[in-house]
Amino acid sequence: MNIVVLVKQVPDSGSERKLDPADNTVARASADNVINEMDEYAIEEALLVRDREGGEVTVLTVGPDSATDAIRKALSMGADKAVHVVDDAIHGSCAVQTSGVIAAALQQLEYDLVLCGAEATDAQLSVMPALVAERLNIPQLSGARKLTVEGGMAKIERQTDGGYWAVEAPLPAIVSTWDTINEPRYPSFKGIMAAKKKPVETKTLADLGLDAGSVGLANATSKVLDFAGRPPKGEGVKVVDEGDGAQKFVDFLASQKIV
Amino acid sequence: MTLHFDEGDELRALRAAVADLGSRYGQPYFLEQARSGGRTDALWAEAGKAGFLGVNLPEEYGGGGGGMVELSIVLEELGAAGCPLLMMVVSPAICGTVIGRFGTDEQKQRWLPGLADGSSTMGFAITEPDAGSNSHEITTAARRDGDEWVLSGQKVWISGVDQADALLVVGRLADGPRGTLRPALFVVPTDAPGLAAHPIPMEIVSPERQFQVFLDDVRLPADALVGHPDQGIAQLFAGLNPERVMAAAYSLGVARLAMAKATDYARTRQVWGTPIGAHQGLAHPLAACRIEIECARLMTQKAAWLIDAGQDAGTAANSAKYAAAEAAVHAVDQAIQTHGGNGLSQEYGVAALLTMSRVSRIAPVSREMILSFVAQHDLRLPRSY
Repeated sequence: MNIVVLVKQVPDSGSERKLDPADNTVARASADNVINEMDEYAIEEALLVRDREGGEVTVLTVGPDSATDAIRKALSMGADKAVHVVDDAIHGSCAVQTSGVIAAALQQLEYDLVLCGAEATDAQLSVMPALVAERLNIPQLSGARKLTVEGGMAKIERQTDGGYWAVEAPLPAIVSTWDTINEPRYPSFKGIMAAKKKPVETKTLADLGLDAGSVGLANATSKVLDFAGRPPKGEGVKVVDEGDGAQKFVDFLASQKIV
Repeated sequence: MTLHFDEGDELRALRAAVADLGSRYGQPYFLEQARSGGRTDALWAEAGKAGFLGVNLPEEYGGGGGGMVELSIVLEELGAAGCPLLMMVVSPAICGTVIGRFGTDEQKQRWLPGLADGSSTMGFAITEPDAGSNSHEITTAARRDGDEWVLSGQKVWISGVDQADALLVVGRLADGPRGTLRPALFVVPTDAPGLAAHPIPMEIVSPERQFQVFLDDVRLPADALVGHPDQGIAQLFAGLNPERVMAAAYSLGVARLAMAKATDYARTRQVWGTPIGAHQGLAHPLAACRIEIECARLMTQKAAWLIDAGQDAGTAANSAKYAAAEAAVHAVDQAIQTHGGNGLSQEYGVAALLTMSRVSRIAPVSREMILSFVAQHDLRLPRSY
């Protein structure tokens, strides 16, 4: 079973995150960059499937040089090898363009199962599994809280607000995972030391047979025109209790859809 | 010319991984165990399985093949996450180092794999009621009886005897008719007949308890003596510098936890419409604590590096231990002050650090003993004792 995990490096969602006013893209240079939290669950699931079924886990990331930190983390958790697509021309690419790069890289790999986080904490578009599935003409199973692989099929419990759907698809397929699916491991000391010896293949757009004109900010299908900081928190609602305090309180909770 | 202060990718990854593990347990777990008389065995086992407890031990015996640099990082990060494992100071750092360097092949094979993966724990017994810090006055003595040693004596302030499978006991050889004594280290199983351990009630909020240990004609096999009898002093000193570095790492963890709590509170607690951290009366002392911690951390890293490089680490290890203890005492005190009344509540977990930080000024070697050591060895002042 060859499993590829799509991994993205993002600015730490626990720290202050900014857009770069020069081109309205995510400011990565000044950020504390970490592996996208949801991707850690995908990595863990890949390792669990590999440990049950055998095979190899390959990490695939598209990102600048600094994304090697995210790759190393994945390798130290136990992934076997990595492919890092790095090319300055990719900077500012939209989701549609990025999916083209990922699909091209996947086509140079052997895969039975592609796993990825259900969303990235930076853009939060949650469209990548669908875009990649479309480009590769493989089924996507999105938003898994449980995954089983048997008899050439991937079966998931697709998490919904009210419960789950049981969905299955033939392999090869792409599955995106929520943080309910497992508890990602932390790297062991041996894992950390082994990571530096694992193969990391670096690929450029040319290696993938892609034209620089197909990617990048200038050719993106969508553009961030403007942005503004979050407005400061307003004054709270002050309710004076005139014998109807409890009712007003419940009304407020109801208006916030808390009750 | 190379001098750089970057720990590098692997050590950073080790810090992150241990911090991740520590955060899964955290201070609430640690305090609950401490206050209920429980133990941190689950964390100990998990840290051992991940290879964190044995990072300093040789790979051929199941360790990570690193050194004190790695081991001190593990303890510091667990402490910063709120759950320092005190037995790391003795089990892998002292006992692992001594047996790893001086033990026979059989002794290494018998003990190191367990110490490395945490499945066995070894305590360290040196202090005696009448000797205190003066290890030259140790009276615990072993006499030979046929193929066996017979060990008798009394020890005090021995950490975690209830958690330990064995103790590395510092004694002397009662050597023949002339009655001369030589230091010698013995591995003594904690269930050996004649060994009795009594907990000492303490005010320290920590799951590791302190014990008095009585050794009453404890019979030990010949190979209980570590390595060669002539190496006793060398064995002792090989173990004590790692102990000081680990004591420093323990203090640094406590100090960082206190600072994290204090700065978080100072940033968010508002009185008269301003976060209290905006006031220099709180900001400056916290900044001073931060500087002390970073300086102590540098010295700890240097001492660990010197030990790993096989160089003389005496002054550096003692300086690190001294500086980290002072930094911890100051940081915890300032964290309590920053929290006001909340600083003494159980809810905020700051007061729980108070005795813990205060211990670091006393054990394993007191502030005053370190100052005397530095005065005599580095300043070449006349010796006082």
